[in-house]
Amino acid sequence: MGNLVQAELRKTTTTGLWWGLLIPTAVLALGWGLATGLFGKFFVDFASTSDLEEVSDFLGVTPDQWKVTLFGMARAINISTIFPMVFGAMAISGEINRRTITTTFLTAPSRMHAMLAKMLVYVLWGAIYGLAIMLFLGIGVVLTSSSGQLPDAGGWAMLALACVLSSILMTMFGVGVGALIPNVAGTIVLLLLYFLVIENVLHFVLAYLEVPTVIGFLPNGSINGLTGSVAVDLFLSSAGVVPPEVEDVLRAIAGAGGALDWWWSGLVFLGWAGVVFAGGWAVTQSKDIT
Amino acid sequence: MHDGSGLVVAQNLTKRFGSVTAVQNLSFTVSPGSVTGFLGPNGAGKTTTLRMLLGLVKPTAGLATINGRPFHQLGQPGRVVGAVLEAQGFHPSRSARNHLRVYAAAIGVPDAQADQVLGLVGLGTAADRKVGGFSLGMKQRLALATALLGDPQVLVLDEPANGLDPEGIAWLRTFLQSYARMGRTVLISSHLLAEVEQTVDQVVIISRGQTMFYGPLDQLRQQQQRRVLVQPSDVNALATALRAEGVQTIEQLPDGRLAVSDVDSKHVADSALRAGVSIYGIQEEQVDLERLFFQLTSGQYAGYAPAPNPYQQQGGWA
Repeated sequence: MGNLVQAELRKTTTTGLWWGLLIPTAVLALGWGLATGLFGKFFVDFASTSDLEEVSDFLGVTPDQWKVTLFGMARAINISTIFPMVFGAMAISGEINRRTITTTFLTAPSRMHAMLAKMLVYVLWGAIYGLAIMLFLGIGVVLTSSSGQLPDAGGWAMLALACVLSSILMTMFGVGVGALIPNVAGTIVLLLLYFLVIENVLHFVLAYLEVPTVIGFLPNGSINGLTGSVAVDLFLSSAGVVPPEVEDVLRAIAGAGGALDWWWSGLVFLGWAGVVFAGGWAVTQSKDIT
Repeated sequence: MHDGSGLVVAQNLTKRFGSVTAVQNLSFTVSPGSVTGFLGPNGAGKTTTLRMLLGLVKPTAGLATINGRPFHQLGQPGRVVGAVLEAQGFHPSRSARNHLRVYAAAIGVPDAQADQVLGLVGLGTAADRKVGGFSLGMKQRLALATALLGDPQVLVLDEPANGLDPEGIAWLRTFLQSYARMGRTVLISSHLLAEVEQTVDQVVIISRGQTMFYGPLDQLRQQQQRRVLVQPSDVNALATALRAEGVQTIEQLPDGRLAVSDVDSKHVADSALRAGVSIYGIQEEQVDLERLFFQLTSGQYAGYAPAPNPYQQQGGWA
């Protein structure tokens, strides 16, 4: 198994795809971070000079101490992890497309061995992407935010953990879908459409139907819930007593509307990743490589 | 684990893709120490059969084994069997050396093996070039290098001569024969018998997914029909004389010559002498091996073109 993991690792490092996708990921995270800081500052200024002081009474702290950047960062992680998901989606569909899958299967004890080795390597890549996202996002936010709106050290650590976990899970999900739909273009178009459009529409519908809790169990809803819940928890931990209605609004802003606790959200999404990988494995196992 | 016998066995292999039967009840055994040609026209099921042997295509029925085991039970398949299936399985932006290092890692052989096989197939100077820029012939050589990485006991090659220049084909021929002489098993497919005639010792000929001939190439050669074309001074007298000697397969050709089957030219000339018939010209004719192959395999996808004369003359006469 160690041999196959090394082989799969070499596959990823001997072509340019890893940095070809890492660059836009970093740019997006950095840009989103910069924008988060600017928007947060603007919002806090606005809140401090307006009639919103009632809200600040609710939250128990003055607006200049609101950790508003947390929400922007949660959103930034959700969007940026689309890239590692696409990277993962190319793992198996790309090999089928390039026809290198033949040699891969001829040199592995079984197809299952080859796929598991691939999954392990892509978990590692998911972590690398996650760290890069957190790094560039952090740089962007720190450059444009005032210190009062930034999380404390524990908050940064928690966000980084959520970011890396989220990136790993998204990559795994991509690998599974790429195995399930052995076609590069089809896989990527479907993933982007689903994560950027279809499920967001579903969220609106579910919220309209007043069953928002269902959202937390959908793929995008659960992965957003992982980062969003961490952000809301961190925000609330520095705020005072918050009424449930306000908390719901905050959750929606963080992209975690209807979501479960962060670790429950992570487990739900891990379940989704497991389901698609199992499906992809079943398809690949019985597939005739012609 | 496998028994190390080097035997490749197909037992009643059948593969259906939907309603299309690609391979039907195919059986043969390939032994070590010789090069076996796996022959058939395009679409006869060669590639499907090889892919069933290699565990890439699941047979509808029957069993394919290498060293007594189905492919997926070989443990470390890269060390038992190497395969050249198509010259396409490369990432275009990966260099030849990196391609080989990926699979060297998978098989579990040292990286130095990658450079060694590159040298072996004559790609040493192209090691750091991206495969996307390779010619078809170079890709074939790289595919062979990949197959050789694990120093396998069994080598399976699907139309490996495609894209190779004459020099490359000659090199491949020598290479495969010496590989087989080391006591290893070599199975090589082709749609042209002439292409592998000088390379192979055994042949499996298939057509329409079924085995048409299976055995040593020499045995196939012995099946060749021979006939004698003779131009006598008196056609009838010679024909009568031959019939009197029990030769029944005599045919008069449009150009006035007699075609006599199942005898040699000496027999015909002696008969003519005894009958007092002069011979103005005589020649022995053999059915070319390639024609015989064509006869064995014709029919599939054949149109209604005029049937070619299966007999080929060996010298100008008329």
